[in-house]
Amino acid sequence: MKQVEIKLNISAVAPLLDVIKQAADDLRDTLAIAATFPEEDADFTETWTQELMAAQNSDVRELLGLFDSDFFTEGSISIDSNNCESLLRGCAAVRIRILARWLQEVPSEIIEDEDAPVAEIPDELRLPFAAYTFLDQVQKIILEHLNPAVSE
Amino acid sequence: MTDSQSKPRQNPASVTASQPQQSELWRVVVLNDPVNRMSYVVMVLRRVLGFEEERARRHMLEVHESGRSIVWTGTREQAEAHMFALQQWHLTAIIQPDEG
Repeated sequence: MKQVEIKLNISAVAPLLDVIKQAADDLRDTLAIAATFPEEDADFTETWTQELMAAQNSDVRELLGLFDSDFFTEGSISIDSNNCESLLRGCAAVRIRILARWLQEVPSEIIEDEDAPVAEIPDELRLPFAAYTFLDQVQKIILEHLNPAVSE
Repeated sequence: MTDSQSKPRQNPASVTASQPQQSELWRVVVLNDPVNRMSYVVMVLRRVLGFEEERARRHMLEVHESGRSIVWTGTREQAEAHMFALQQWHLTAIIQPDEG
């Protein structure tokens, strides 16, 4: 994958980062999706969970790292073959947490609609919904660059 | 970057103890989730299981329409490794004995 630079509107994205960081904080010691285990052995499941947690934390850190001080001066994020997979997973983890924490009451047909009218989202959920959609678009851009032939 | 392709068994003794028949086949099943976009699921199936685009898309559609898809069958140890890798990508995956 070639390096891709995405120019973003800082004033539009900055408020979303508060939601993303809150979701990321939640994920420090919780898996985005509760793992199922092949074994009931406590040591085995503990190791399994710790390894998933370590991978998740690494991916979420990579995602948050996109929005460092450079982002607030340049207004762009850079994605390349070194960080794209980690960013895809980090976006997935944070989106899952945003859905679980804020958007449970929003009907799935709205959640799954990229072009859902904002008016259908309650005021207090618009920011989390925008953050959820923003990360979806970041994933979409990465996926399109990984496989230009891809379509939904 | 984490290696999503395989996970070395951390506690092989415990697995062996509960697996009297080493030749038994196990399935890796991916379950539907409300978050991940279709192209993401296709990409993950290709990355983790080495599927071609068409095969990955078939399984993704089965997950989407039926709620689950058996994506792999084989030894328990390898099934666990695939399950772990799929969970790293935040897909909901389980393993179960292949009952034919």
